[in-house]
Amino acid sequence: MSILNDISENLQKGKAKIVKELVQQAISEGIPAQDILEQGLLAGMNIVGDKFKKNEVFVPEVLVAARAMNMGSGLLKPLLAEGGMKAVGRVCIGTVKGDLHDIGKNLVKMMMEGKGLEVVDLGTDVDPETYVKTAIDQNCQIICCSALLTTTMPVMGEVVKEAEKAGIRDKVKIMIGGAPVTEAFCRQIGADKYTADAASAADAAVEFCRASA
Amino acid sequence: MTSRERVLSTLNFTNTRERVPRQLWSLPWANEHCPEMMAQLERDFEWDFNGPDTVLKEYPATKGDPYTVGEYVDEWGCVFTNIHRGVIGEVKQPIVEDDDWSDMGRVHIPEEVLSFDIDQVNRSCEQKQDKFLFAACCPRPFEQLQFIRGTANLYMDLMDPAPKLLEFMKRMHDFYIRLMEKWAKTDVDALNMMDDWGSQNDLLINPRLWEEFFAPMYRDYIDIAHSHGKKIFMHSDGNILRIIPRLIDLGLDAVNSQLFCMGVENLAPYKGKITFWGEIDRQHFLPEGTEADIDRAVDLVYRTLWQDGGCIAQCEFGPGAKPENVYRVYKAWEQVRNK
Repeated sequence: MSILNDISENLQKGKAKIVKELVQQAISEGIPAQDILEQGLLAGMNIVGDKFKKNEVFVPEVLVAARAMNMGSGLLKPLLAEGGMKAVGRVCIGTVKGDLHDIGKNLVKMMMEGKGLEVVDLGTDVDPETYVKTAIDQNCQIICCSALLTTTMPVMGEVVKEAEKAGIRDKVKIMIGGAPVTEAFCRQIGADKYTADAASAADAAVEFCRASA
Repeated sequence: MTSRERVLSTLNFTNTRERVPRQLWSLPWANEHCPEMMAQLERDFEWDFNGPDTVLKEYPATKGDPYTVGEYVDEWGCVFTNIHRGVIGEVKQPIVEDDDWSDMGRVHIPEEVLSFDIDQVNRSCEQKQDKFLFAACCPRPFEQLQFIRGTANLYMDLMDPAPKLLEFMKRMHDFYIRLMEKWAKTDVDALNMMDDWGSQNDLLINPRLWEEFFAPMYRDYIDIAHSHGKKIFMHSDGNILRIIPRLIDLGLDAVNSQLFCMGVENLAPYKGKITFWGEIDRQHFLPEGTEADIDRAVDLVYRTLWQDGGCIAQCEFGPGAKPENVYRVYKAWEQVRNK
């Protein structure tokens, strides 16, 4: 359907107002909300994510695409709720205690939302207890921890231990990322997944959620 | 040979016999947490860089201390939040909130920093003339715009810049030009500038935007330096491999960036074309490495990037760095030419 292609293409260009208008038009034409979401908005974000992974587009392009997606999805939310459509999964995300950097964390959040995941954003300077409590209270399948500083990376290990202590380690996956974080560090602290970029993090989160469904 | 001559010969790729010049970057954290190692570094190594004492007739208004916990307001009015003593914080609340930059009048362009006296600076330069002297100014257009507007907002603004943003960028650039021109008239040896351009993997913004908005500014600063017979240095964290050749084209003399994030081997094509002003990996080797790792890292940088110049021994002594590894960096650089 060409209007869904138009939504996808304009989203990729970050044309938020046009995306909103097209989504409204698609709703008026009677196209199911789920189709508009999946074949229009999420399809566009998927392309942006793939290009970002390949360094063909950069952070600003992702940000404007995500802004356009939010404009469009805002119109769809009530319709999707009416139709009983569920998110692919639920994730809680934050930058670890002692660290105020959030560009990377925000990018991961946008990419995950662009994959149809529901994301609970805990912000920055998040202590291990808050991650785990949120995962329990809000039934999240995944905890995502971000860090930019080498000095705050060890908090990620504390999150893993806190999840073990709370008895949810077998129910929740723990993903980590950030400039100094590595695959070796992920193994060392017993987390489940390290990804090098935001788009790969979103892909991995979807895989985890589908596997646990 | 004086420090000044040593640095100049290194920048000019004519340093055939002298040791590699060195400079230590230490955050206040290092003085607070590792005073003994700081003293030992001072005792055991001669540093080649310095800068003149500079007195301003008028100081821009700032509030707080950038290196203590709490809030700090910089010369432009940007508000930093800090939760760690000894390092600088992050801007969480932008000054410019309007998407069309119609509230840009809330930004204070710190003209006060132009109020130094050239003769006073030159007297100080004369007292330190054995060292290679940096100007006490450092344009950082991209970062300052982020501090003013917030990072995510600025990135989105750059995709389709409002006329008032472009107007503000012009005013900011005009201020930086006047600042660089005044410093270029002093007896310092080099001007410097900075902007972190890299993420871990690539540039933060599309190279097209970098080329359109920022490369022309850097070209102007570089031209000012060279037209006054000065060298020019730039700091830029992250993986900036994509713009290194452009910085060379623009005429930059020395760049400080994260060599190991880019892959030292990937920089080999630029050997002899620009000086690599440090560093040694502060993400992994300085906090986690052994002294043997440090030796290998320094050796790799030297073998890959030195060509009768082109390297400066430098690393950052900040949170997480093992003191003994910082010391080892300079020891290894001291010995590397004797191998």
